[in-house]
Amino acid sequence: MKNQSNPWLTSNLFVLALGMLPAALLIGVLLYFTAWAFAFSFTDLALVGRKSVEWSWVGLQNFERLFTRKGFLDALWTTVIFVFFSAIVGQSVLGFLLAATLRGTRSGIRSVVEVCIMLGWLLPDIVAAFLWSATTSQTGLINALIVVPLGFPPINFINDYALPVVIVANVWKGTAWSYLLFSAALDSVSREVIEAAKVDGATPFQRIWLVMLPIIRPHIATNMLFITIWTFTYFPLIFAMTGGGPGRQTETLAVFLYNQSFARGNLGFGSAISVAMLAIVGVLSIFYLRLLREPK
Amino acid sequence: MLKKGFLTTVAALSLVAAAAIPARAEVTFMYAEWISALVEPGIKAFEEETGETVKAIKLPGQGYDQRIALDLAAGTAADVNLMDSFMVSELASSGYLEPLDDLLAGWDQYQYYLKGLLEVASYQGHVYALPTDTDVRMLWYDKSNFEKAGIAMPWEPKTWADILDAAQKLKDAGVQYPFQLPAGTKQAEAATMQGVYMALLGADKPEGDRNRLLNRETGQWIGDSPALRRTFDLYHQVYVDKQLNPADLNYATDIGAAVRAALANDQLGILASGSWEDACLWDCNNPPSREDRDAQVGWTPWPGSGEPGAKTTTNISGGWTIGINANAADKDMAFKLVTSIFDEGNFKAWTLANHRMAVRTDISESPEYTADPFLAKATALAADTTGRDTVPGYQTVSALIQQATADILDGASVDDVIQEYHDALVDEFGADKVMTYE
Repeated sequence: MKNQSNPWLTSNLFVLALGMLPAALLIGVLLYFTAWAFAFSFTDLALVGRKSVEWSWVGLQNFERLFTRKGFLDALWTTVIFVFFSAIVGQSVLGFLLAATLRGTRSGIRSVVEVCIMLGWLLPDIVAAFLWSATTSQTGLINALIVVPLGFPPINFINDYALPVVIVANVWKGTAWSYLLFSAALDSVSREVIEAAKVDGATPFQRIWLVMLPIIRPHIATNMLFITIWTFTYFPLIFAMTGGGPGRQTETLAVFLYNQSFARGNLGFGSAISVAMLAIVGVLSIFYLRLLREPK
Repeated sequence: MLKKGFLTTVAALSLVAAAAIPARAEVTFMYAEWISALVEPGIKAFEEETGETVKAIKLPGQGYDQRIALDLAAGTAADVNLMDSFMVSELASSGYLEPLDDLLAGWDQYQYYLKGLLEVASYQGHVYALPTDTDVRMLWYDKSNFEKAGIAMPWEPKTWADILDAAQKLKDAGVQYPFQLPAGTKQAEAATMQGVYMALLGADKPEGDRNRLLNRETGQWIGDSPALRRTFDLYHQVYVDKQLNPADLNYATDIGAAVRAALANDQLGILASGSWEDACLWDCNNPPSREDRDAQVGWTPWPGSGEPGAKTTTNISGGWTIGINANAADKDMAFKLVTSIFDEGNFKAWTLANHRMAVRTDISESPEYTADPFLAKATALAADTTGRDTVPGYQTVSALIQQATADILDGASVDDVIQEYHDALVDEFGADKVMTYE
């Protein structure tokens, strides 16, 4: 290993340390914030008021309340639904299907579709939130173009179907990432393998299911890892579109955490929620990382 | 050679980094967009007089309360800050705000401020902020929709049943939002003040503090009372039992804009809100003419519940304030900015043009103010008003109240909501700080 390194760098410890400094700082800051949240999850620290200065240790009380008080378990369930439908089913499957379909098409059509998909990804979350609120409102585009011309009374989507609307908005917003990743992955599958399968009489479905998918399995796992973590902690689009409501209908863990920490002002409880989220995401990550390993 | 190149790169990068960090302005000031018409001329006057520059941080009203609390708690807040008056005592108790007594003593216009309103912006006898305005609360209604529903005007409901009755007629006439009663966490303080507290004050006979969130004598928060139950039941009737209003306006991306759009599209029936709507229903900084406004909407005081002994009308006042960060670099300069915003000429012009309720006698006793019909009626309503429970802890209690109304939107029963609210109060303040009324 040592002989591959730049001799000037290895002979100069000072420069080497200097080069490592940014990385060390970054890791330090990350650890500091995690440790901060972990430590304060055992306290009753508040955002303002007396308990923001004179906080005290309360043991496991905050963690008990995750289960004994209304909120956390509901939010966890909402988050699971949100992640499953918008990230795993929506973004990932849709992204793969688009990538697989567009693989063989002419570059003109492909570019147009790619630009359209990318637009959702490139728009800032707040702009996207306004756009979706306007589109799904009672006088919005969907009602004006589809529902009313078909003879149905206009639907107040956010009021009646808040969670599905937020899920669809997030699918629209995030599919570009999965599409790009799968597109690149499918490009790496050599044509010879596919041709060989074709010659052996494999149907198009079999070619995808039995040939392509096994080859890009590591990419699928990587994509799942990324989008699950992102979507699990995703905040701005939901917060701007519905603020977690109506009622608690779209209150995911990230929105619940925000409300408890900054509206109610209970940073101790908020820290406990974030520690719980960290643990859940950690377990999911380990699961996906195991998927990444090549089978023996 | 390589070493020299490396060091040159480091030096060049540091220079770029240093240039990228903006030079610190003398005075920073954070405020909400809706008050621009008051503060922006003040900033300009300050800059012209002192030659200093003000770094203005102008934010949307949505989420402003959380932002200011977080900025002050994190030590990143501006030198001068606009804040809702209910936050002052709590922020002062945390040591985030600068007491203004000494600075105010040297300002000749301080004598005009109404003492009662300064109390709201005080903590332990010290003034921490200056009020921009106060307000009263009422029920606004859209005249064209009332006509469509066949409700006689001027509308004068005597009990909650009259409101529900009108809302039902509006709903039957096809009005989209018959009774917009602020609810839920996204409405933040509006749900507590414009909705819950206005109902609560008239829910039960006004004995002691039976109609409040706090027992002011013992300092205990009220976890359960007939008044709270009746108030939550009103929400339950509006949003669940009778379905007199869809919940979505309370969760719009920009609630103020959504309410304005609903009014403009003739979708609004009754709106529980406050005196500022006389401008803000159209544009806080630039309202239309008196005639245009009167042609579209009217207002009536909030009636009591109709329970024996309950008040016939209710009212609660709030308002906003401007205060100085305890960590402001140059407090004299910061205070100078505050006084140039509140300088009589500027302050009076804004108060009159936007129909805000005055907080100073030199403005409230001026002939232009007393001659204004809207302000005269609103001031009459203010004769019987009260304030929020602005003691430390109120912000948390208010957030819990908002959560309780959100749970009702989801269909939770009044019993469950009360139980949850009571438990949360005990969690936050301890059992000895929570009481119930039978």
